[in-house]
Amino acid sequence: MVRSILLASALALAAASPAPVLADEASDLAELEQALAADKKANREDAAAGKEAEGQGVTGAIARAVQSLNPDISFIADIAFAYFSVDKPLMSGGHDPTKTGFNLQQLELAVGAAVDPYFRFDANIVFSQFGVEIEEVYATSLSLPWNLQLRAGQFLTRFGRVNNSHPHTWAFVDQTLVVGKFFGSEGNRGLGLELSWLAPLLPWYVELVGSVTDAAGAATARSFYGGTDLGVDGPGDFQYTAALKQFFPLSDNWSLFWGLSFASGPNPTGRDNRSEIYGTDLYIKYRPITHGSYTVVSLQAEYLLRRRQVPDDVLMDHGLYATLFYRFARRWAAAARYEFLTGVEGDYLDATWDGDRHRASANVTFWPTEFSRLRLQYGYDTPSWRPGYHMLFLAMEFAVGAHGAHKF
Amino acid sequence: MRRKTFITFITLLLLGGGATQAEAKLRVVATVPDLAAIARAVAGERAQVISLTLATQDPHFVDARPHLALKLNRADLLLQVGLELEVGWLPTLITGARNSKLQPGNDGRLDCSSLVKLKEVPRQKIDRSMGDVHPGGNPHYLIDPDNASRVARGIAARLAKLDPGGKAAYAKNAARFVEQLGKAKARWAKQLGPHKGTPVVPYHKSWVYFVQAMGLQAAAHLEPKPGIPPNARHVLRVIRTMKAAKVRVMLQEEYYPDRTARLVAKKTGAQLLILQGGTHLRKGDTYIKRMDRMVRALASALKGG
Repeated sequence: MVRSILLASALALAAASPAPVLADEASDLAELEQALAADKKANREDAAAGKEAEGQGVTGAIARAVQSLNPDISFIADIAFAYFSVDKPLMSGGHDPTKTGFNLQQLELAVGAAVDPYFRFDANIVFSQFGVEIEEVYATSLSLPWNLQLRAGQFLTRFGRVNNSHPHTWAFVDQTLVVGKFFGSEGNRGLGLELSWLAPLLPWYVELVGSVTDAAGAATARSFYGGTDLGVDGPGDFQYTAALKQFFPLSDNWSLFWGLSFASGPNPTGRDNRSEIYGTDLYIKYRPITHGSYTVVSLQAEYLLRRRQVPDDVLMDHGLYATLFYRFARRWAAAARYEFLTGVEGDYLDATWDGDRHRASANVTFWPTEFSRLRLQYGYDTPSWRPGYHMLFLAMEFAVGAHGAHKF
Repeated sequence: MRRKTFITFITLLLLGGGATQAEAKLRVVATVPDLAAIARAVAGERAQVISLTLATQDPHFVDARPHLALKLNRADLLLQVGLELEVGWLPTLITGARNSKLQPGNDGRLDCSSLVKLKEVPRQKIDRSMGDVHPGGNPHYLIDPDNASRVARGIAARLAKLDPGGKAAYAKNAARFVEQLGKAKARWAKQLGPHKGTPVVPYHKSWVYFVQAMGLQAAAHLEPKPGIPPNARHVLRVIRTMKAAKVRVMLQEEYYPDRTARLVAKKTGAQLLILQGGTHLRKGDTYIKRMDRMVRALASALKGG
């Protein structure tokens, strides 16, 4: 007590002393006190405001629902009416319409939330008329050092652009042929680990991705072990995927995304026989944001080259697609796609596919809101080994619930 | 020698340039330009403040362009509007940014909706048949000057936490901003005083805070429900309402389509004001200047009719 009085008097003396050195400090102190007083007043006001906000805020059940710690859950239904000019169309995708008449493409359940400060959880579970399938379920690390990020679980590999996306974000009703032919009807995915790294000091976006996944699955890794799982005897029995992703914001309105991908894994045609897939993808997008506009024009193209060792031979084939997308009004867009694939004789996966195949598609999409979508699509497919045929789809999509944000 | 330089370069890359970042100014990233403008007023020279979006961009629909993740990767503080305004694009950017400072609950993340007085907080259970309703309340609170003051003080407190050496400077800057805003408010009250209670028709429900703060009222909205573009039947009803209430001014941000609004303006003799959707940071605009400009345009439109 005595000491504090002494201290206070000393301070008072110091503050009152007219020494020029202290004048500055005194004015600083006065300023600080003023600022602090203003802050205090502001805090009081804020506290009052907070109370008011509480008063008018969410109450009871709604408040509990908001703070329930449930993950974001959404359902997305894709239904299509289809017409094909032949009985057995060659559709590659597991969620493509495959017969004339009504088709339930999928009912997707997407679940996502932070697990804890270290991981986030994402799952995509797909219901079809015949069963349930776990498309993806993985954890993503949130706080690894050195700009690293880890994904663990079952995930679509980040090979190219379209492979790592769900039908909900596609510009077309059906899967891209080259993905179906090289990876399978579900796209390339597997159980495994992925590590990616974001280059920190470069002026543009550079991301390096590497993953190890199981090489089995007729619908998910068909160029590798596919439907003939020979098991794991050593590190050579996994699929390895690497990708380099670069993004260049050319201007406010123009974007350029360029990727290089590589996948390698064992195939079941013989001891130590391997399959390799090389890919490059390009995405150019024009979306004016410097003035009000709903226009989007984008070009997306991917080229994939596949090399498979088989007894006494190497099978080489390739495929590509190019998509032009044009959103011409707030709720309307049109898109066109061209696909080209080659075939090889004696292909152990696609025995009849021994020549070229071209497919062209065009569609118009109408979005009542971002949660519903109507799409009318026409396609013409010309496999060299059988007569060409037409297809027409009227596809509808409905989404409910809290759905995560989409990647670029 | 050359090889050594190369190795140093690679090492720096790998380590994320920790050394260089430590000496740099605080990096603040705001999701929208108004928030960045307020943060700039508070931070002064002590921080570098950028916005992820432009004033000409609809903040509901933003592309998650990867270079934005890069900006978040390097950020010390993320300022967001919250209330699910950025839900369609920010979460994926944050996950991709690999910056644990920005996780909710950390000092590097400030959801500014926690600082303000909110309007239109739903009291009943909402669903999407009501349009794009935000469960936490209307997120367009930054064009209410009182909320801007609250946000400025909140940002000052947070910056002081991240950069204790600048505590007094931040408090002083925030106090100055609040004082200037107070003077501006008096000015605006004088400009709009004669028009107290005048009805206006905004396009989206993004003017709720502004219209009330300026003593006006919204007679109707051109969108039948938030986020649902105008349809003929609703527009007819709006025209009828406007004629009955003698509405002379319509408002909308520059990023919304203006064809319907122009048509309605022509049919009713009202004036359509296309106002900026945020602070034009690149043109050296400040929050107060932007608000000044809006109020001036509004006052002259209300007088002109």
